[in-house]
Amino acid sequence: MRPRARLSERLAGMLSVIVMLTIWELASRFGWQDPQILPAPSEALLAAARLLGPWDLAQHVGISLFRILAGFGLAAVVGVSLGIVLGWSPLAARCLRPFVEVLRPIPPLAWLPLAIIWFGLGEPSKVFVIFLGAFFPIFTSAWRGMTMVSPTLIRAAQTMDVDGARLLWQVAIPATLPDIAAGLRVGFGLAFGILVAAELIAAKSGMGYLIMEARQLGQLGIAIFGIFLIGVVNLVADHQLARAVRATVGRWSNV
Amino acid sequence: MTHRGYRRLGDAAVPGVILIAFVAGWEAVVALGWVRPIQVPPPSRIVASALELALDGFPAGTLLGEHVGITFLRILTGYALALALAMPLGLLIGSNRTLDAATAPIVTFCRSVATLSLLPLAVVWFGVGEASKVFLIGYGCFWVMLSNTIAAIKLVDPVLISAARTMDTPPAHIFFKVALPAALPRMVAGARVALGVGFMVIVGAEMIGTTRGLGALIMEARTFYRSDITVVGMFVIGAIGLALSWGLTCAEAWLLPWERRQQERDP
Repeated sequence: MRPRARLSERLAGMLSVIVMLTIWELASRFGWQDPQILPAPSEALLAAARLLGPWDLAQHVGISLFRILAGFGLAAVVGVSLGIVLGWSPLAARCLRPFVEVLRPIPPLAWLPLAIIWFGLGEPSKVFVIFLGAFFPIFTSAWRGMTMVSPTLIRAAQTMDVDGARLLWQVAIPATLPDIAAGLRVGFGLAFGILVAAELIAAKSGMGYLIMEARQLGQLGIAIFGIFLIGVVNLVADHQLARAVRATVGRWSNV
Repeated sequence: MTHRGYRRLGDAAVPGVILIAFVAGWEAVVALGWVRPIQVPPPSRIVASALELALDGFPAGTLLGEHVGITFLRILTGYALALALAMPLGLLIGSNRTLDAATAPIVTFCRSVATLSLLPLAVVWFGVGEASKVFLIGYGCFWVMLSNTIAAIKLVDPVLISAARTMDTPPAHIFFKVALPAALPRMVAGARVALGVGFMVIVGAEMIGTTRGLGALIMEARTFYRSDITVVGMFVIGAIGLALSWGLTCAEAWLLPWERRQQERDP
C-alpha cells in the first residue's frame, strides 16, 4: 500500500486543484472563452441547484447505484465461482475455454442491442450489460490466480493428506484471493464506465440519462454538473469498494 | 505419431468438437422453434448476413469493410494521440515529486470521470463528426496511460537508480538507459489497458449520432429488427480487438524481449 501522503504533498495537490478551478472560472467570467461552450463551474453548480431538486438528484444517483450494484454483484458471484471452477478442473477449462475466448473480446456495450431484444428496455438489460463488463476481468483474474497457485503449496498440503474439497477451500482459494481482489477492483471500474454509457443510450433515469437530457435541452451547465457528479460518485464508490475488498477478500494483499 | 503427438491432437480436438456441437445445437434449437430467430439468430443466418453485409452493405449500402475501416481509424487515431501525449507527460510527472503531488488529484479525478459522460460536451465542442469520437477515445486512453506511466516511473526500483549514480552515470543516461527500460513493462501493460478502454468507448461513441462504424452498425441493426447483423458486428469488433491486442503482444515482444517468458504462462 502507498504510504500516507505527506502534508506538503497534499497541500500541493489541493492548491493545483484550486488554481485550475479558478482559471476555468475566470476564463468564463472574462470571456476568454465562450460560456456557451464551457460554462464556469459556479454556473454549473447554480444551474444544477436551480433546475434539479434534491429528490430528483437522489433518485438519479440511487437508480444508477442500484444498477451497478446489481450488475457488479452478479458478476462478482458468477465470475469468481466460474473462475475457480475453471482453474480447479482442467476438464471444465478445456470445455469452456473456447467460449470464453470467443466472447471475451466483444466489448460489453456491443451486447446492448441484444440485451434490449432479450430483456426489453427495463432494468434487466442494463444490469446485464454492466454484469458483462465486470464479469470478464473478475472471471479472468480468478481463473488465472487459480492456475498460478504455487505447486509447492499444493504439494505441501497433499503430503499432509489434505485433498479434494479441503485442498480447494483451505489452500487453493485462499492463495487466489489477492488475484480475485485485484479483479474485483478492475471489474468495478469497467462496470462504472458501462453503466454511464448504457444510461446515455437506453435509459429514462440515472446519472447518464441526466447528462443526455441536459444535452437535449441545451443545458450545458447541468451536463457539466452531471459529469462531475459521476466522477465523484465513482471515486467514492471505488474507495468504499477498496475498503470492503481490503477488509474481506484482500486481507493479505496490496490492493 | 508419438504419444505426445496424440495428446496434442486431443487437446486441439476437444475444444473444436465442443464448439461444433454447440453451433449445431444452437442451429437446431432455432430450427425447432424453441427460441425466436430475432432473439437468437441461428449460425446459418449469421453467416448469410455477414456475406450480405460484406457485399451489399447495411444500412443504406455501407459495406462491412467501410464500417471496419472507419472504426479502426477512429480507434487508432485517438489511441495514438493519447499515447503520444500521455507517455512524455507521464514520464515528466512521474520523475518529479512536486509535480506528481500537484497533479495527483487532477489525474485521479479525470480518470474517474466516465469517458462517455463527456459525449454531450464533445458534441458541443467538436460537432457530431469524427473529431468528437476521436476526442472521446483519446480522453479515455489518455488518463489511463498517463496514470500508468506515472506509476511505472515511480515504481522503478530505487536501488537501480542509486547503483547507476554510484557509477557516475550522467542524469540523462540514468533516465534513458536505466529508469525508462525499467518502467517499460508497466507502461506496456498500461497501453494494453488503455486499448481496452478505447474499445469500450468507441462502441458507445458510435452508438449515438452516426450511421457509420461498427458501433453504429450494431445499434442501427436493432432498429431494423436485424439482430443477425448485430451479432455479425459484435463478432467483427471482437476480432478487431483480438487483432490489435495481438499486435500489442508483438510490439511487447520486440520492445521487451526479457519479459516474454511471463506472457506464455497466461491462460
